[in-house]
Amino acid sequence: MALLECRGVGMRFGGAVALYNVDVSARAGAITGLIGPNGAGKTTLFNCITGLLQPTSGTIELEGREITGLAPFKRARWGVARTFQRLELFTSLSVRENIRVAGDIRNRWARGARVDPRAETDHVLQLLGLTALADRDVAEIPTGMARRVEMGRALMTRPKILLLDEPASGQDERETEEFGELLLHLCDEGTAILLVEHDVSLVMKVCSLIQVLDFGSIIAAGTPAEIQTDQAVLDAYLGEEQKA
Amino acid sequence: MQDFLAYTVLGICLGSIYAIAAAGLVVTYSTSGVFNFAHGAVATASALVYWQLRFDWHVPALIAILLTVGVVAPLLGVLLEVVVIRGLRGTSEVTRLVTPIAVLLAVTGGSTWLWFSNNTRAIVPKKFFGENNVKILGQAVYYHQLIGVGLSIVIAAALYVLLFRTRTGVTMRATVDDRSLLMLNGGRPDRASLASWAIGASLAGLAGVLLSPVQGALQIYALTLLVFDAYTAAIGGRLRSVPMTYVGAMVLGLSRLYFDWISNAGQRWLALRNLRNALPAVLLFVALLLLPQDRLRGAIISRTRERFHVPSIRQAVAWGGVLIAVVYMIQTLMSGSAVISLANAMALSLMAISLVLLTGYAGEINLAIFTFAGIALIAAWQFDVGPRGLATKTSLSVPAILMAICVCAIVGGLIALPALRLRGLYLGLATFAFGIIVNQLVILQTQALHANILGFKFTVNFFSTGSLTMPRPHWFGINFGDQRNFLMLMTVMFAIIGVGLIALRRSAYGRMVVAMKDSPAACATLGLNITRLKLGVFMLSSGIAGLGGLMWAGQGRTVANNTGFDGFASLTLFMIAVVGGIGYVSGALLAGIFLSLLSVVMPNIWLKLGHDYPSLHWLFVSVIGNFTKFVGPALIGIGLGKNPSGIAQQIMDGFRPLRKTPAATGAWVAGLVGLWVLAWRGVIGNWTFALTVIASVVLIPLLIKSLFAERFAGDARARHGEDLDLIGLDRPFRRSDRATFDNALGIVGPQVEVADGAS
Repeated sequence: MALLECRGVGMRFGGAVALYNVDVSARAGAITGLIGPNGAGKTTLFNCITGLLQPTSGTIELEGREITGLAPFKRARWGVARTFQRLELFTSLSVRENIRVAGDIRNRWARGARVDPRAETDHVLQLLGLTALADRDVAEIPTGMARRVEMGRALMTRPKILLLDEPASGQDERETEEFGELLLHLCDEGTAILLVEHDVSLVMKVCSLIQVLDFGSIIAAGTPAEIQTDQAVLDAYLGEEQKA
Repeated sequence: MQDFLAYTVLGICLGSIYAIAAAGLVVTYSTSGVFNFAHGAVATASALVYWQLRFDWHVPALIAILLTVGVVAPLLGVLLEVVVIRGLRGTSEVTRLVTPIAVLLAVTGGSTWLWFSNNTRAIVPKKFFGENNVKILGQAVYYHQLIGVGLSIVIAAALYVLLFRTRTGVTMRATVDDRSLLMLNGGRPDRASLASWAIGASLAGLAGVLLSPVQGALQIYALTLLVFDAYTAAIGGRLRSVPMTYVGAMVLGLSRLYFDWISNAGQRWLALRNLRNALPAVLLFVALLLLPQDRLRGAIISRTRERFHVPSIRQAVAWGGVLIAVVYMIQTLMSGSAVISLANAMALSLMAISLVLLTGYAGEINLAIFTFAGIALIAAWQFDVGPRGLATKTSLSVPAILMAICVCAIVGGLIALPALRLRGLYLGLATFAFGIIVNQLVILQTQALHANILGFKFTVNFFSTGSLTMPRPHWFGINFGDQRNFLMLMTVMFAIIGVGLIALRRSAYGRMVVAMKDSPAACATLGLNITRLKLGVFMLSSGIAGLGGLMWAGQGRTVANNTGFDGFASLTLFMIAVVGGIGYVSGALLAGIFLSLLSVVMPNIWLKLGHDYPSLHWLFVSVIGNFTKFVGPALIGIGLGKNPSGIAQQIMDGFRPLRKTPAATGAWVAGLVGLWVLAWRGVIGNWTFALTVIASVVLIPLLIKSLFAERFAGDARARHGEDLDLIGLDRPFRRSDRATFDNALGIVGPQVEVADGAS
């Protein structure tokens, strides 16, 4: 059974339909890719899963329990964590404090399972290769590193599922490669990862299942090999005229 | 039934004028995203201009109204947009609220200065067509009122056509949605914003002219507050929808008139007599409850211009000690009246420090600090005086203080509740409305309320005699009735609260509070219950405000019911606190000093000069004195857009060089202490001391900087941004430049490899 299960999720803003009857799932211990052209509705789907938006139809389940309708903070406590495509760092805090505060917040709700936020922060900083930047102002570090800070922050909550919104953009080739290994390491530990990413080579390399979103609908799902040859996907990415 | 119809007719007449005012507010907000707190002041200024033209210079009514509403008011709007509002892009919500508040105070102050400096003549605007009226449904309706109704209908139609049928209107609506996208599509957002401010000011002006005859003689603050009522209607329209705003305005007008009808013009229930004036504020709360939940917003602007550094706790303790020592040393040199001014400043600083937590750390807004002071005062007084209503105690007791703090915290929590799920602006407006309600129903309350709870009878006196007397504490065998002792007590309190706040900011709780300000959306997705955290911060801050308010009342000894509870004083305090540097405890200290200087010390200086040189009395008192009193503070606030981090930050930047030259700094401080000893022993005069200290504060950092220029070379480069392209061309490449490049490019140097390898 999938850890996260979105069934028939729809989202409309006034007259504009952003998501239409979307089924997406993610399994524990696996990286699920979610790709699609800009404006396909990927970030909107993330917002629906984390509760920042309330979907107009459909249900979202985590470990078989429905979480549709729950406030964002409650979903986070159930184990949903995310990063943002448009960075949402705490700009008044340093890199270390950005990660630490997530631990502080966790200690507030995870009463039974408190962690030592200081040690945990050091561990996450090291895991993400941020130790050298730890005491810098988050506003002055490069975007690629800032994305890692957001990911570190999400990891501090010890999520069951991690939603990553274009984490590799702003990272160079070498950094992306390391990052891919890091993702694989995390899913080995049992975390489910839902990855939205434009770097197709990264997606093809790490994902075990890929779902393709276009104009608010899922147009294909399958293994990387299947997706690479799927006609609907090629049309969406390359345009209809390529067909001829 | 006849009465009902009559009051309905009058209610619609009043509602129409509210609609005009509120529509102006909606137009400006929906185009520029700035809530124009100065709307009421523009209305009042326009009413005065109209009066000047029509009744002082006898210009025909039609020309006077066209000049006022078609020329003067729009020009004022355009001026505000160009000079002030444009500078607000990319600033936080707090700055975008404070700057219009400064404009409000500036325009109100300017009007007072121009029209009321020589407090001799009454300004009595009259209705259009005098007392001519027609009977509608049996009720005499003045032509003036009919004009109001007619104009509001015309304006509604015109706004609809403008916003939905013209290119300008589409541009105006698009500006808020996505400014950069609009520019890419060839739109001109600057022009749209300019147009909206001209239209908004013009509508405000029209509403002001129409409302002004209501009160008889024109009173600036009363008329401005009357226009504030229209804010409720605008909130009813969610600051966006003009039709909903019209509905809100009608509800407002009708409810006011129906209250008059039911309460027999306030005579039926004497304790609720002032509810008439508080009704719009009450309805504002209702409107807030009905507003839909805001979408959790991320950081709309990825990086606001405000930056605050946090000192370590050790530094904070050291500075607290320095503050206590310096105040102690200074007061020994001061005359009695100067000590009073300083103590007044310290009391205001204690009130302002509550805003450091609320606004500086948490990014929330409280525009009713003086109201909390009033509540604390009533609570503590009631507690100490007891049920018999006779003042017997000579010392403010500790339980009374604790009680007052708790009452303030609870009340703060209750008023914050409806607005917590909304954006900061709405919480700010809710507090402002709360201030008006408390002022009308509690502080201006002349009836003593007799309560009978569980057979325990007691009388609640608010300000039934018009003022309350606050005893000062008498603790640990020290009589704080003595002004110097009381000053030191407040200074120690300020230092303790300041250190406490910095410790809080450095704790897990503080990090969460700051994180919530930076990105509520991210906090929620990390599992933080934002509403609860906000509630806690607001309660804590209200409690601190209550404590500050008690000290402020103790400092004044007697507090009259018209000292600062009408909302304007709270607005001023909030504005000055932001100008001082809302993210810093030292900013709160500066705010108290400024406010005391501007409202007490400066006017006294000008009065004294006017007294000493009678032939120049007009210049010192009427012109300069009134100017500094009414307009000065506001001009400082308007400058905020240029430096949103506040003055405290600038001062700290100025003194930064001293950190790197401990020896020189030590010598300077030793010199100051030496000077103080000389002044204390009477060897040099106090003025000599004061001037030398001020001169050295200004000059020494500059001097040290130039003497030790070498040490600051790197610093200056980093801050002022030496042109990196030219390094190596301009001058030879140094090894230290590599770090500068790495820094600028965000490259971390070789250490990062090590860290990665370890993982």
